[in-house]
Amino acid sequence: MTEYVDAGQAIPLSQLSAVKGSAPPVAENVNYERILNARSEPHNWLTYYGTYDGQRYSTLDQINKDNVKNLAPAWVFQAAMVGMHSGASTFSFEASPIVVDGVMYVSGPDGKVWALDAKTGEELWRYKHASPYDVSLCCGNVNRGVAVGHGKVYLYTLNAHLVALDAQTGQVVFDSVNGDVRAGESGSVAPLLVKDMVIVGSAGGEFGVRGHLDAFDAHTGERRWRCYTVPKPGEPGSETWADNGEAWQRGGANCWVTPTYDPELNLLFQGTGNPAPDFDGEVRPGDNLYTDSVVAVDVDTGEIRWHYQFTPHDVWDYDSTMENLLFDAPDGRKLLAHADKNGYFFVLDRTNGELVRVFPFVDRITWGEITPDGKVTPKVYPDKEGEPVHFWPGPAGGKEWTHMSYNPQTGLIYVPVQEVGATATRRRREFKESMPYWGAAVAVDLEDFYGFVAAIDPLTGEEKWRWRNEYPMCASTLTTAGGLVFQGTPTGEFVALDAETGEKLWSFQCGSGHHSSPTPYEVDGRQYIAVPTGWGGWLEGFLPGLLGGNKGDALFVFALPES
Amino acid sequence: MTTISNERADELAAAGLNGQNKLTLGRLLGTGSIGYAEEGPDGVMRATVRIPEDQFCWEPGILILPHGGTLELTLINDDKNTHCSVLPNIGDNLVIWLVNHSKGTATLNLQGPGIYWYGSATGNDEGRGLTGAIVIGGEVPPEAKLDRPPQPRP
Repeated sequence: MTEYVDAGQAIPLSQLSAVKGSAPPVAENVNYERILNARSEPHNWLTYYGTYDGQRYSTLDQINKDNVKNLAPAWVFQAAMVGMHSGASTFSFEASPIVVDGVMYVSGPDGKVWALDAKTGEELWRYKHASPYDVSLCCGNVNRGVAVGHGKVYLYTLNAHLVALDAQTGQVVFDSVNGDVRAGESGSVAPLLVKDMVIVGSAGGEFGVRGHLDAFDAHTGERRWRCYTVPKPGEPGSETWADNGEAWQRGGANCWVTPTYDPELNLLFQGTGNPAPDFDGEVRPGDNLYTDSVVAVDVDTGEIRWHYQFTPHDVWDYDSTMENLLFDAPDGRKLLAHADKNGYFFVLDRTNGELVRVFPFVDRITWGEITPDGKVTPKVYPDKEGEPVHFWPGPAGGKEWTHMSYNPQTGLIYVPVQEVGATATRRRREFKESMPYWGAAVAVDLEDFYGFVAAIDPLTGEEKWRWRNEYPMCASTLTTAGGLVFQGTPTGEFVALDAETGEKLWSFQCGSGHHSSPTPYEVDGRQYIAVPTGWGGWLEGFLPGLLGGNKGDALFVFALPES
Repeated sequence: MTTISNERADELAAAGLNGQNKLTLGRLLGTGSIGYAEEGPDGVMRATVRIPEDQFCWEPGILILPHGGTLELTLINDDKNTHCSVLPNIGDNLVIWLVNHSKGTATLNLQGPGIYWYGSATGNDEGRGLTGAIVIGGEVPPEAKLDRPPQPRP
């Protein structure tokens, strides 16, 4: 036998690519002060929603309603999902890219993060977080984005690690374990940088995870606080869970969407997820706080200051994780807007959680009724074992996690609306750690669905216009000072609407459906709109009628022609 | 150390599932033997995987680590064809080219618990059977566990 040929040492795959390996040090001086004043540097998109208030509004106006018809791709980046990865058929490119002075930081499915030249799309560095194939994922292999600051890029991974990367090289600075994958926990949220902390929240409501919101030291990765969103016996809110019961231990209320933040009130506004089991309320009598709520959390201590529950004792899977958009009334009153899965649009006083107004924003609501003064009356719900019950909206809601946007020029909030119903049949099961814990058989409607973008005046509840689509709206809106609203559709079109009238002004077919949040930015005086595409995630929940839609994982960036 | 139940191996062989061009065109994934990494006094885990001649598989096909950490993996290609290995690793996948009758190493950093797959990313080696598993046992650290009483598991 001859000697073996020396194959050497395995090398990083990126060494066999055109990846440059480093990015300019633009993130070194991104700090709390800059993020607080993010609107003053509209060429950047410094935080998940653009600004802490969650408005997803850009003052950039180079692209406007007069010239948007000329918008064209400037470059495309492919996330390149290959090999055996978790959620092999359910991955989706859900992020909202962050942009800092010409560098884009964006996360994709399967633990990937890239630093890209925001002008050319050149790959500056990449990071790939190896994550177990068998991690519990209710809703696909997804990640909604990164936070950038203090010279670092922060990622919350599928296996619930908070990872900080050197923003210049993509190398790991720290890695803090924050969740128990054996308990069905995972991570998908885009972290939020506040002061010298990184805020992340749990995912795993379909596996009976007891929800939590967490703050870590942004420099060291050491934990500052954890806020559980289901109280233990004896804690405030525990009276809403059955006495002597175990339900609170698996109660849900997970925090898988980034909170908004008011620096004057020093409060985070975190939406919480469904109670567990989703559809079997009999095993968890009571209102089940703080599920399906907004909780106002002191950012320094993690203490809950107030809460408002949108769907008490939910048995329809009506998470309220989606954003709580902050805006001020003309009289200066500090308000919060929330379009819930349950089909109702809520406006609250964000200083104390007092209800200002509530009204429906979808066409079909059969699960129950909420009166203008906030009284909730359930009407149709899975109650008897084995008896099918149909209801609207379905468990993905009248609006899922994808975000609405607020344009101060029009005073309107642009809501991506899903009109899809579902049938749930209660099927009790015992709780076992890591096993899906729904308590029902659920089939979302394969027909009789549609969607629209609703332009809503949050001060009156009036729908000013709607742009109707054959398919539900399953991606975030973005609005700009150019008088535009951008919306991606499930069939791949990226559409620009007139913010005042809803008229469709432009569209581009991206080849795969949208389930992400577009980002505006500017480099060297040229405005761009970036949008990740890639149809996937919990398709069987929000639009099973397009389960066969084309997959994809490309980031498109649009601009006006340079000439 | 490598083990596989003789009964299971016999059943796979009888059905023509664990070889090339028998019942199946290639080897059914996940049907290989089980091996265990050995942990040294330095805390580094070490193991060897081979590609046997005309088998299109990793041997052992399932490599078990007691916990997450650093794995020094020796890869040996005893086949008369060229293969490679693309391996999971924190930061970036690792790649090593394995020409006929070659031997190389990979130093992997992986977190547990959970399953990771790796394969030979050339032609359809992965589909023919050259897809192996690295399985990490253990629990997450106590500070990452939920504050609740112990829960039943399946």
